[in-house]
Amino acid sequence: MAETFEHDVVVVGGGGAGLRAAIAVAERNPELSVALLSKVYPMRSHTVTAEGGAAGVIKSNDDLETHCYDTVSGADWLADQDAVEILVNDAPRQLIQLEHWGCPWSRERDGSVAVRSFGGMKNQRTWYAADKSGFHMLHTLFQTTLKYPTITRYDEHYAAKLLIEDGRCGGVAALDLRTGSMRAITANSVILATGGAGYVFAFTTNGAIKTGDGMALAYRAGVPLKDMEFVQYHPTGLPGTGILITEAARGEGGIMLNRHGRRYLQDYDLGQPLEVTDPRHPQNRMMELGPRDRLSQAFHYEREKGNTFKMEEFEDVDAVHLDIRHLGEKRIDERLPFVRELCRDYQGIDPVHEPIPVRPVVHYTMGGIDTDIDGRTALPGLYAAGECACVSVNGANRLGSNSLVEILVFGERAANTATEEAGELKRPNPDALRTQAKDEAKRIQQTLLNGANANGGVRPAHVRNKLRKVMEAGCGIFRDAGTIQTACDALAELSEQAARMTLDDHGGAYNTQLINALEITGMLEVASAMAHSAHARTESRGSHQRTDYPERDDAQFLKHTLAYRQEAAAPRIDWKDVTITRWPPGERTYGR
Amino acid sequence: MAQMINLTLKVWRQDHVNDKGRFEEYRANNIDTAMSFLEMLDVVNERLEKDGKAPIAFDHDCREGICGQCGAVINGKAHGPDKGTPLCQLHMRRFRDGQTLIIEPWRTKGFPILRDLVVDRSAFDRIVAAGGYVTVRTGQAPEAATILVPRDDAEVAFEAAACIGCGACVAACPNASAMLFVGAKMSQFSHLPQGQPERHRRAINMVRQMDAEGFGNCTNHYLCEAACPANISVEHIAQMNRDYLRAVLKSKPA
Repeated sequence: MAETFEHDVVVVGGGGAGLRAAIAVAERNPELSVALLSKVYPMRSHTVTAEGGAAGVIKSNDDLETHCYDTVSGADWLADQDAVEILVNDAPRQLIQLEHWGCPWSRERDGSVAVRSFGGMKNQRTWYAADKSGFHMLHTLFQTTLKYPTITRYDEHYAAKLLIEDGRCGGVAALDLRTGSMRAITANSVILATGGAGYVFAFTTNGAIKTGDGMALAYRAGVPLKDMEFVQYHPTGLPGTGILITEAARGEGGIMLNRHGRRYLQDYDLGQPLEVTDPRHPQNRMMELGPRDRLSQAFHYEREKGNTFKMEEFEDVDAVHLDIRHLGEKRIDERLPFVRELCRDYQGIDPVHEPIPVRPVVHYTMGGIDTDIDGRTALPGLYAAGECACVSVNGANRLGSNSLVEILVFGERAANTATEEAGELKRPNPDALRTQAKDEAKRIQQTLLNGANANGGVRPAHVRNKLRKVMEAGCGIFRDAGTIQTACDALAELSEQAARMTLDDHGGAYNTQLINALEITGMLEVASAMAHSAHARTESRGSHQRTDYPERDDAQFLKHTLAYRQEAAAPRIDWKDVTITRWPPGERTYGR
Repeated sequence: MAQMINLTLKVWRQDHVNDKGRFEEYRANNIDTAMSFLEMLDVVNERLEKDGKAPIAFDHDCREGICGQCGAVINGKAHGPDKGTPLCQLHMRRFRDGQTLIIEPWRTKGFPILRDLVVDRSAFDRIVAAGGYVTVRTGQAPEAATILVPRDDAEVAFEAAACIGCGACVAACPNASAMLFVGAKMSQFSHLPQGQPERHRRAINMVRQMDAEGFGNCTNHYLCEAACPANISVEHIAQMNRDYLRAVLKSKPA
């Protein structure tokens, strides 16, 4: 058992960050063999659903300094400024590189690359491919990986455990979903690029694959998770399904209305609205183009004031309107065709003629595996990039269109470091690694597959549904010590239940129930890190809003949270200073 | 209010790639017409699991019509009856109470059936690997804004790039031709300046790989275009043929 495959670098994750990393290794050193592991076929990775675009300074009226400041202030000063400078400086080069690989960016009339407005950005700098930007970026990257013979793909492989020997990471134990057999995939460097963990919440734009697997892998190996309490609610999801209506809809001029038809954002310190017919509308860093955290919070207040409306067809959830009718059919079809398609298919309305009902929905995890600016983690041989990592460039609130460049910039950066350091550490003994993979297979067989819990056990789906509701209730847009404590207690109880999970499917090939069970144990760990970090941060900053501590407290909390896993106990929370280079903490102002 | 319908499903069940396979019949009762087709399959699978039977394996992920993973032939139509719509965006309101649906995987030599409705589409990857990319190394990129792309060309490239690689074009074609897919992949680059240097080599290599994978030739039935969830036009097949012909003529000694 446990077939072994030897490589130089293993990349776990086939989304934007993982593919960019694999390409970077292949380009930097064609001698190295790269394993590209993905739980799903790479084109199914979540990057594919990104709509709005990727930020990079390209126009003559824009500058790097402003992009940095927008990002730092958008992050409520919790981002590391050295990392932000790297992101902003390298973004245009990365987007140009994609252009050269064939990414069909939308164009201006004169043939130059087109950019659009985005929330929290002072100037237009978001490159886009209509409203399927992530799709085209991922396709471009995927097709580019296919040209390198040194990249070997392991599609539909679930990374169950990091293989660690002599204090360093030397590969992963992965379940081949097609057969159910465990494989040891060994290497000198392992790059985690597994994406975020939005699926630990009940109402999310994230697909079912975004279960925080990489975060859990690193966490169990002793690597801390950073800033996990910061979870982004996107203000405009479709009320029933949670399907995202891109921020580009507001970038193009869409407006937010409460049930009285009032552009309510003007009541939340986000500036004064201009008429939609005014050529200066929409104004950047104002009103509808404020940052996501502030818009989602405004929704919450509107609901408390009774200014939202109820949607009978979706169990009476509250919603407000996003209105793009004034853009006209032609512009909607040209710039936002996917928005129209989604509204028609999933909401049964045509946004050309009707306003779109929306409500906030969990969208992004700012926190993740603690890495330095070169993608290194605390464990030698282990690197991370993309949404699963926290460098951090997003701090307490990510600006839309920064993540699609983050995956490129830091995907390449982590890969460069991993390539350089691949030869430095002594390669672990392959027999020892194989034994670890075998032990993991045995553990799964004994705990889950042999039906030991057939009596009195719980189904994985039951634990997962509960977990997702607990997080929504306890760690939502607004939290306090009480709701968070309730979540922590419920998670502890669910962890006990999860130890007694029982399966109906005991087979090998495509045993999705088994994979779900493995994902759930990881989701519980990640959720626990989120809840306990939220508990420890007794201030309000960005997306972390505590009703019992409503003010930002720089004296105590201009610090990253680090959650360390402890065996059979709550995580230990530690702190790490934020790197400030050129932008001292100040007031976050929008529209004034 | 919610409208419920009852359906009979005849679903292709096949345990592994070498299994002979067979149709099995299931009742799908009380199906909310607001459900998508895949949600309907979820419901059927839940009931199958409750009865201790193996659920129907099918590929899916984003359920927003963009990842290209889902796909099945319903009553002889790839992705079902709606134009420009993949399976995940097909809704049950499209069907009548009491209807029988025959649900099959893509059937073509190029896509071996792995289990039930799941097929192996790696042939598409191998065709792209034969040339569907641009060979520019990182770090050598000059200023992007200096390479102007006429908007009309950019739009054609964009339309071609919208292909989600689902394989419905092959499943719909009486000849099992993959030319709409290959045409789209090639045409994207043929309309962009960065695709020009390798244009001829790309055409020859991709067509050669397409033939090697056992896909057939286009004989202008246009069923691929009708089945395509991304509305890719057969114009791209014509573009591919022009590129290929030019490449072959150029590569022959005068």
